[in-house]
Amino acid sequence: MKLKPFILVTTPLILAGVGAATGVSVHERRMSGLPQLGYVSCIHCHQRGLDTLPWAKPRPHHDAPGGIAVSPDGKTLFIALDDRDEVAEADLASFTVSRRTKVPGGPFGLALDAVGKRLFVACRNHDRVAVLDTLDLKEQASIDVGIRPTDIAYCKTAEGERLIVPNSGSDDISVLSVSPLLELTRSAAGREPYAVAVSGDGRRVCIANRMAVHDQILSQPYSEVTVIDPASGHILAREALQSAHLAEGITDVPTRGWTLNSVVRVSNLVPITQVKDGWVMSSGVAIARGNGEVTQVPLDEANAYFPDPSGVVASPDGKRAYVASAGSDVVTVIDLDKLAAWLAQADEAERGGAMVNMALSYRYVVARIPTGCDPQHLALSPDGSRLFVAERLEDRVLVVDTASLKPVGRIVLGDGGLDDPIRLGERVFTRARYTFQGQFSCRSCHPDGHVDGLSYDFDGAGVGDNLLANRSLCGVAGTEPFKWNGKNPTLQYQDGPRFARVLMRTDEIPQPQLDQLATYIKHLPPTRTIPWSRVGQPLTPAEERGRKLFFATKRTDGTPIPRALQCQTCHRPPLYTDRLLTSVGTKGSQDTSGVFDTPHLIGVGAMAPYLHDGRAKTLEEIWTIYQTDDKHGVSSYWSKLQLNDLVEYLKTL
Amino acid sequence: MCLGAASILLAGCHPSAPDGSLVVAQTPVGVPPPPAATVLDVRYPPGSRVVLLVPPFRTDSVRELSRGLVAAGDPCVSWDGRWVYFDGKSSDDADWQIYKVNAGGGRPERVTRMPGGAMDPALAAHGELVFSSPVPKAGRLWTAPEPAALYRQMPDQEPARLTFFGDSAVGATVLRDGRVLFVSAEPRDDHNAHRHLCLFTINNDGTEMTAYACQEDGVDFIQRPRELADGRIAFLAARTEELGPMGRVECVRPAAPFATRSSLFAFRSAGCRSVEPTAGGDVLACVETSGWVGRSMTPIAAIYRVAADAAAIGAPLFNDPLWNSIEATLVAARDEPAGHTSAVVPGAPYGTLLCLDVNYSSEPATGPSPAPATKLRVFASVGPGQQRTLGEVPVASDGSVIVQLPVDVPLGLDTLDAQGHVLRHQPASFWLRPGENRACIGCHEPRNHAPRNARPLATTQKPAHLGLTDPTTVP
Repeated sequence: MKLKPFILVTTPLILAGVGAATGVSVHERRMSGLPQLGYVSCIHCHQRGLDTLPWAKPRPHHDAPGGIAVSPDGKTLFIALDDRDEVAEADLASFTVSRRTKVPGGPFGLALDAVGKRLFVACRNHDRVAVLDTLDLKEQASIDVGIRPTDIAYCKTAEGERLIVPNSGSDDISVLSVSPLLELTRSAAGREPYAVAVSGDGRRVCIANRMAVHDQILSQPYSEVTVIDPASGHILAREALQSAHLAEGITDVPTRGWTLNSVVRVSNLVPITQVKDGWVMSSGVAIARGNGEVTQVPLDEANAYFPDPSGVVASPDGKRAYVASAGSDVVTVIDLDKLAAWLAQADEAERGGAMVNMALSYRYVVARIPTGCDPQHLALSPDGSRLFVAERLEDRVLVVDTASLKPVGRIVLGDGGLDDPIRLGERVFTRARYTFQGQFSCRSCHPDGHVDGLSYDFDGAGVGDNLLANRSLCGVAGTEPFKWNGKNPTLQYQDGPRFARVLMRTDEIPQPQLDQLATYIKHLPPTRTIPWSRVGQPLTPAEERGRKLFFATKRTDGTPIPRALQCQTCHRPPLYTDRLLTSVGTKGSQDTSGVFDTPHLIGVGAMAPYLHDGRAKTLEEIWTIYQTDDKHGVSSYWSKLQLNDLVEYLKTL
Repeated sequence: MCLGAASILLAGCHPSAPDGSLVVAQTPVGVPPPPAATVLDVRYPPGSRVVLLVPPFRTDSVRELSRGLVAAGDPCVSWDGRWVYFDGKSSDDADWQIYKVNAGGGRPERVTRMPGGAMDPALAAHGELVFSSPVPKAGRLWTAPEPAALYRQMPDQEPARLTFFGDSAVGATVLRDGRVLFVSAEPRDDHNAHRHLCLFTINNDGTEMTAYACQEDGVDFIQRPRELADGRIAFLAARTEELGPMGRVECVRPAAPFATRSSLFAFRSAGCRSVEPTAGGDVLACVETSGWVGRSMTPIAAIYRVAADAAAIGAPLFNDPLWNSIEATLVAARDEPAGHTSAVVPGAPYGTLLCLDVNYSSEPATGPSPAPATKLRVFASVGPGQQRTLGEVPVASDGSVIVQLPVDVPLGLDTLDAQGHVLRHQPASFWLRPGENRACIGCHEPRNHAPRNARPLATTQKPAHLGLTDPTTVP
């Protein structure tokens, strides 16, 4: 008896549901331009605002030591605390912090003048250099430089005092005069200039560029050591370190005329069929001996690895070098006499092949000093008797007696942040212990969570058919699924079982640490690609023209652009991805599939190379060289100027 | 006494071993061994036993752990320090198998049921047991028609074979990085030819079989490799005329294992039966000295605790004139070695081999031809003295080759010039596991070298496939 009302009520609901589902499906296929699209939820495309993402929310800050500098009298250590916007001063008699001062903008690189009266601070978050008076730690002056300055060096030249600043985000080097504080030149560097060293005579300054570049897909990458005349700022030389990258440390070696550069040797062109024997990468030091030859030698051993080499310093007598290995929590001690002896007896072929000889380092490595988590910057006391190691994720500075090579104290800056899951995740991210023999860490390919600019041939069902460009982790929260084939639904899956099998070659990262790692990655903000002074400012006219091109629905002549081929369809704001698989005509001869996950575009200006296998060196090349029949957006009607405008706009995302 | 018994009962008859205890393999002194059937019968004659030695290491403080067995030896302590695995024999006619017993005492439990027996227990991560099987006949360890292979066995699971050598794979130990280090013979075509022993590693799924050390050294006997606390690999080495279960103690440094072979101790260490690491960096060494047994001077093995840099062996830690203490291991919890996520695809009929440059070698090519190789010939060992040619594949102009090959069978390689002359020859001595992608940087390439960063041209083509169906068989 009650069946009729039930049917009367439910039938319209069912019909409405079916109709709505059909409508949604039609809507999804129409809006995505993918007629074969299966079910996706509404929120797959209608994403939340950026302000709801983890990286946009406030997070705890820590006393992580960045750059460190010892006063000329050896009594004081200055420590940059970029995450706190502070600089600390420590008394080296008591190993305690005596003063801290606010320096806005992420102070990271430090340098003192010759007498220790002025402290120069490179602030990488606000693109500026600040000058502090060491007497009262008050800021005396400030000057804007390029994007994300990471280091600074002071030197005296015949033309006056100079400051050399590598700007890692704008790929250039600022040369400043000190009195008055002016930018004299800004010269193009390699990719991501990161660290700087002044030669003993003050006539040459060498800048290590952290990232490698390559001339074309599948060619050998190289990172540049940029050599400049500090007086004029002119480029003296550009030395290529073949297959080397992630050069974070550089130092002059007094008495020898050498420059040492910490590097990672990468074998990204070789299929990753294994990890052992440094198959994927290994760590070392590049030695420029001033004779035009650069020799790379390993820090690693045949069965032990010391990844992510970072800071490097040489003793005043030129007898020893110290290299921080951030991934293995070790400082390696190199006997430079032994290294010089090996170099002297080795022939050219041996020197050329030294870096792949994993059984070489025992000849010159004399000690490995254990440190706390993530040692990066190093400094030596003026007499060389004390080594200072910034233990970045411990919020401490380790003090080592260089005679005994034993720790003699620690300068405590903070509590290590062990109650912060993001910080704990960063520890997982930087530690190599989760890979076979501790050969590399997440950071080895994702410095600061970003890209290393390389493509790797991952192990798969076959060999040599899985060449994929590395993708930045900065700003990935909310852009799942992951991997170029979109098969990994979560960061935990991506970094757990998949990486354990194809890359780490050991057990999966334990679940608690895996969750911490995912938390850290989700909190990585997108890479800033515009100067700090332009953040929040309107687009330039060129960028605005590029924006209109990006959102164009018609060609210049009024012809409609099919929805599937409009930029905004796949690269849908606010994340600039629809998180779907799409073919843009880039299937290579070795690729098993032609559809790829649509990458997000936030920070895309810093993510080169582009396309799934990294074939496009620049954003321009996506359309000038690798566009196929207007499959990757309709670009055939663009003029060169319009393409320039589009690229300018993309670089603001 | 009563308190001790009560505590044992309260512990569920599984008392834990007191701190600092040792597990020791002992053989009776002065008892002439009967004719031995297997290599283990030689090493552990009837009456041999595994005991717990409790501090302060007096002869009256020994607990037998191998009760009920006619012979036992080769103890191995689990990573949590709670269990002892060892070789045991339940009767004179029985095969040797692996047993386990609570470290504090109890009844031994058999954990392997391998036809032909099992020996040389070692423990990997997650409770995985690694051992060799079958147990070769006495004097036939390196000439047995059915050589001992390595197996792995998870608790309550069936064993899985790991090695597919034509020679025995024995003496396994698990390194901290998770690899299995073991002893086998230097590859050669004629198994009756004089052989030298050397060290190899594999992953615990049988992939990535790799030479570790001593391949070029011409050592006649290597036994019981062990990883010390400082990472060095210690082992017993012996010359042919010193044939027997003892030798001098040598070591290699992991930083350069092919260049650093040396004596472990500063003093003469001949007559050593075993070395085992301790967490503190010292080494437990069982060394034969001479002692009076009845009216005759008889070698007796005693236990010494030796600092790695000691100038002399010092006084024994334990010496029982009635027993040879030939193997001693500290009972203690230690860090478990790393695990390994297997890349093996069960059931896959083939694996893939990539050589980056077959012309890259540390050895000169044989024959008069200086020309680079144009082809790679692959053959398989299909039985004692029987090899089958699988076929030839072209070599790319950069020397690279990629080929799919059958799995779990010993494979060998010849590089050929354009006229078909053999340039370099690799006896059938490596294998691929199902679905394994395997690569090498050259043929007889320099040891411990990483690849140069160049894209191998062979990867631009689909790999050739060679199977076992080719009828070409050569003796």
